[in-house]
Amino acid sequence: MPPIIRTENLTKRFGNFTAVDHLNLEVNEGEILGLLGPNGAGKTTTILMLATVIRPTEGTAYVGGYDVRKNPDKVRELLGVAFQEPKLLWVSTPWDVVNWHAKVCGLSTQERKRRVREVLEALDMWDYRHRSVHALSGGMRKRVEIAKVLIQRPKIAIVDEPTAQIDIVGKHKIWRMLRELREEGTTIILATNELYEADVLSDRVGIMHRGKLLVCDTPQKLKDSIVGGDIVEIQFESDPSPKIVEELEHFREVVKIIKTKASTLRLYLNRVEEVVPKIMSTLMKEGVAVSSIRMSEPSLDDVFAHYTGLTLEEAQKEGG
Amino acid sequence: MRHIVHILENDFRNFFRYKWWLVGLISMNLTDLFIMAIVYNRMLNPAIIQQIKSYFNFFAPGLTVTGLFASAFMIGREVNMEKRREVHQYMLSLPMTRFELAFGRVLSGGLRGMVYMSPLLATCFVFVGLPTLEQFLVILVVLFFLAMGISGLSIAIAVSTKSLDKFVTARGLVYYLLFFCSSVFYPFSLIEQLGREGKFPMFLVAFARANPLSNASDLIRSFLLGTPPFSPEMIVSVLIFSAVFTTFAAFAYIKLIERA
Ligand SMILES: Nc1ncnc2c1ncn2[C@@H]1O[C@H](COP(=O)(O)OP(=O)(O)OP(=O)(O)O)[C@@H](O)[C@H]1O
Ligand SMILES: [Mg+2]
Repeated sequence: MPPIIRTENLTKRFGNFTAVDHLNLEVNEGEILGLLGPNGAGKTTTILMLATVIRPTEGTAYVGGYDVRKNPDKVRELLGVAFQEPKLLWVSTPWDVVNWHAKVCGLSTQERKRRVREVLEALDMWDYRHRSVHALSGGMRKRVEIAKVLIQRPKIAIVDEPTAQIDIVGKHKIWRMLRELREEGTTIILATNELYEADVLSDRVGIMHRGKLLVCDTPQKLKDSIVGGDIVEIQFESDPSPKIVEELEHFREVVKIIKTKASTLRLYLNRVEEVVPKIMSTLMKEGVAVSSIRMSEPSLDDVFAHYTGLTLEEAQKEGG
Repeated sequence: MRHIVHILENDFRNFFRYKWWLVGLISMNLTDLFIMAIVYNRMLNPAIIQQIKSYFNFFAPGLTVTGLFASAFMIGREVNMEKRREVHQYMLSLPMTRFELAFGRVLSGGLRGMVYMSPLLATCFVFVGLPTLEQFLVILVVLFFLAMGISGLSIAIAVSTKSLDKFVTARGLVYYLLFFCSSVFYPFSLIEQLGREGKFPMFLVAFARANPLSNASDLIRSFLLGTPPFSPEMIVSVLIFSAVFTTFAAFAYIKLIERA
């Protein structure tokens, strides 16, 4: 199946500044693609070009087979966008905003009424539906913004930092609703700078930095791609002999071993889930007593650091 | 085309959010009319009063056009505000064509002007005189086109000015130019006379003659009062203005708003 979205050297310059730089990205039908990147990476600019809101300076993108430059009207029929900054007029009310949106997107009266109520209730916004927007908190406005897309259920949903400013209970609700949306067949692009969000929600994650796509793969493969990214700490009953250390070094997956404390070894290795059983059986064979073993996987933060040479925090300082 | 109706719905909803404010404004307009009529009738040169019979009769159609102008211009303020808050990005992402969006906005502005203006026009009919059915329809059509032109003009200004300050300044200039050089507040014959006497530059006299606000006011006057005499120019001027600005606005709205 051809990708439902494909960008071809998609580029946007603002004056001399290149916000999106020859981006080549593919999104498969029915997946959640996380676009992860620090502030200023170019995520929102990419999204605005896909939504035909701004025109690319160079290159183009195909959405559902339609060129965003040549057939923007067709592209818009497939899309629903929840913007990073809620796009609401101060004087309107949540109900007016989502109800009108649903109407424009062609929902029948009955369906519209049902879904508007369902989604506003699920997002705890039903009681506030007739308040004017200026009297809502930042998180509530953000809920109204995401509600538009959840009610619309478009073929392709683009959500730009959907849970920024939203409390943790709200975040989990929105994540669940986005997963449900995907299960009903919607393809989702999720732009975020929250690693955890990208990790738990995305089928694949693309890491963007300075307008470029650095890598794009499943979160698991990205983590595995870091050589020696997994960490295993083994605490022995007594000091391990040099022979044991040597034997452990023999595993192909083990990259580095450090002795952290008197009876503790820290192993940097790949594919932890396959190697640990082998290590255990070697140690048993040698009759070495182990008092504890701790494993940790690399996070997307490590992945990000690996590809950019920066921690996300540093990159964010640099970008912002 | 279905989407044009949606745009209208949205813009009318926003318009009626200010319903009490609008009612207040219309009442103020009407109060002004009665007060100004009394004051001006006593102040004006008797020769002019003779020409126009009574200032009330003269000014009521002018005020109708003024009300139409102010209310049709309101859409520009909203478009400007949307642009500053980047709500226009949302509008541009909706599943409708750019034509539907742009034309819908201009049409909303125009129709809102018609709604606001209707009590003022009704006041004219009650106090100044009743038109025939044909005349009534001509007035409505001409005022509708005028409203579209004004709405278009306001949108064009709104998308080409970045800040609210600049929008308000530009709006002020347009107000002054269009109202000062027009027969909304004083008869065109007076402007012409001042021009001949060298007290008013001739190009502004020419502008006042072509000004669609002059022509729309004079069209209502010619039907209700018989003076100034009706001429087809009155309709043509409004239609040209309307065609130019409706097209220009729709074009500007699409081009300028997308050029982020
Ligand atoms: N209209 C504009 N004019 C000039 N520069 C712009 C404009 N829009 C975005 N930029 C610049 O382009 C770069 C990318 O911005 P963008 O909003 O796409 O980043 P982002 O990845 O969405 O960041 P964030 O995580 O903060 O939302 C930034 O450096 C920004 O300053
Ligand atoms: Mg962004």
